Amino acid sequence: MSNLCWRANILSRSLPNCDRQLSLIVRRRITTKSAVTQSPISLSSRPRCQSPGAKSRLAWRDWFSSSQIRAIHYSPVTRHGGIERPASGTGIKVHFKDSKGSLIKTVEASEGDDLLAIAHEYDIDLEGACEGSVACSTCHVILTPEYYDQLPEPDDDENDMLDMAFGLTDTSRLGCQVKLTKDLDGITATLPSATRNMFVDGKKPTKH
Amino acid sequence: MPLKPLKLAVIGGGPSAFYVASRILSLVPNANTSPPVRVHLFDRLWAPHGLVRYGVAPDHPEVKNCTHKFDATASDPRFRFFGNINIGDAITPISHTHKLSLSSIFNSYSHVLFATGCTLPTLHSALPPSQHCIPALSLVHWYTQHPNRSPPPALDKISHVSLIGNGNVSLDVARMLLTPVSTLAQYDVPESVLDVLSRSSVRHVSIIGRRGPLEAAFTTKELRELINLPDASMVPIEPSFLKPSPDLTLSRQQSRTLQLLSKGSKNAFGSTPKTWSLDFYRSPTGLIVDPSDPTTAELSLAHTMVDPRTQRAVSTGESSTLPTSLVVTSLGFHGEPTASFYDPGLGHLRTLGARIITNEGHALKNMYASGWAATGAKGVLASTMMNAYAAADTVLGDVLPDREPEEPKVLVEDILLNPNPDLDGVPREVAQGLKEGSVTQYGDWKKIDEEEIKRGQAVGKERERMNWEDARKFLETVRDRSPH
Repeated sequence: MSNLCWRANILSRSLPNCDRQLSLIVRRRITTKSAVTQSPISLSSRPRCQSPGAKSRLAWRDWFSSSQIRAIHYSPVTRHGGIERPASGTGIKVHFKDSKGSLIKTVEASEGDDLLAIAHEYDIDLEGACEGSVACSTCHVILTPEYYDQLPEPDDDENDMLDMAFGLTDTSRLGCQVKLTKDLDGITATLPSATRNMFVDGKKPTKH
Repeated sequence: MPLKPLKLAVIGGGPSAFYVASRILSLVPNANTSPPVRVHLFDRLWAPHGLVRYGVAPDHPEVKNCTHKFDATASDPRFRFFGNINIGDAITPISHTHKLSLSSIFNSYSHVLFATGCTLPTLHSALPPSQHCIPALSLVHWYTQHPNRSPPPALDKISHVSLIGNGNVSLDVARMLLTPVSTLAQYDVPESVLDVLSRSSVRHVSIIGRRGPLEAAFTTKELRELINLPDASMVPIEPSFLKPSPDLTLSRQQSRTLQLLSKGSKNAFGSTPKTWSLDFYRSPTGLIVDPSDPTTAELSLAHTMVDPRTQRAVSTGESSTLPTSLVVTSLGFHGEPTASFYDPGLGHLRTLGARIITNEGHALKNMYASGWAATGAKGVLASTMMNAYAAADTVLGDVLPDREPEEPKVLVEDILLNPNPDLDGVPREVAQGLKEGSVTQYGDWKKIDEEEIKRGQAVGKERERMNWEDARKFLETVRDRSPH
């Protein structure tokens, strides 16, 4: 029995499934209390499904709205872990596949949701280290050409990050930048293969 | 058969350490059917998150979002963090840290993973550190208020800075020197640093590289940020450097870099108070300071070209000098040479498939390394994360009953580690430090984190950092208020 458990865990995502209601409640509480309220007790006992960092993000929003410094990709961040799952059969279908092309899960989401948020909502193992601020390449996904071509071109910031993505293809995008439209119904997002550090350990740095 | 416990000591508390911990704790449910797991992180610094706190440029706050995931990992009851603990023999120990021998770790843990990073700057043989020549790491430590207390640079007395090397650290330093202080003031930049920057008389930053634009180490993101600076402009690049020979196939990043460089900076050269240049095909050969005028030095540069066969920089025989006030070397990093399993040829620990390899070439059982400690100082956060996940898989392959051990499979049996440690015990020295309040835990850090953000918000910035003296004082007041 434990064998089955392991495999399920390895295949799917680390964090337990989120109870959206709970996460919304947590978020509301943080909003009203503003930034810095978490006691050490709530640190250890807080629900795992709370979108990590909601607190700091809110602090950031206050901060940025009061000061016009420079455009930081911000808006997608607020939604992560908190997107609305559409009623079954009414949403836009998204297929997530692993690097070998096997289907992980087919899920449904709403117009405007991005692939990173959708992956997090449905516990797909897609990382979002910078939480959708286009400052890393961890949510790199590979699309099929017919869907890739329907998307607006990636902007410079996204391209800068894609430059660093591992296993880049001609139809690669950052998941956080792919927002669903009705036309994208049936889109397939394939996760790139991970590296094995077997091949990079001990390699000498290239001499300049 | 009882499940083998995994009581893992991770030496280091940076992103690699946290990603390893995160992966292990998320793949092994905290349940009776799972092997008992504990992951304890030890950091020589009092604050966790390594280069995310003490390396990431202040104007890249988005990169620091990964700490939210680290916070989530730290909330797992099987996780503990111990700061201010220096394990082994550091060349440059931080004064207030507790010393802990590796054997104390071995006695208390069943598995050990080194995530010690690459903490020392690689120097240039022709440019020994001096009053006029410092490693970029000193500046990074200064503007992040790293506990090793790098002194502030005398920016009010200099006008020209020469950065040797054109990787992202070099460009970070250039941006710190060229970005308006009013912009930096809103980020996580300590007030004392802003004071120095506001008095800066730096007018030009030269970024010197031995090879050309195609070989440059910076990423397009960092280049674009420099190009878009509001108060600075770039010296136009010699057009012939931007026309690669037609038989070369350029990578995507190379073509985009060339495009960016051809367009030049957003502000026309000369229209701004500050300027910068990418000085390609130049290799420093020495620095001469005139004793009668110590404010200026002459940097000797050999002119170079790229040998098409080896891709290395070779001298053309020509040379020139560049008058400059401060030379900052940014040539990469290496590990501590006194660390166990350090390979001086590699500049980091000797590993294969995340396993530690002995001098004799044997893979050690239950000893691992991840991150820059294992791969050397290269790659961005995403590569560190992937590497850490692979290392976590190697650890789990040795522990989980349904997994096959990862390569290499021929392992030297260790006699050092403790296969059946007291799961919740910590080394005696750590227990003592905790009692004295000089060893920090994650809960302490979260209190400081909140306070830093609060102090920052009061003055309209992301956070105001504490040093260890501030932090210790603050923790004492918080602990006094608590009932224990």
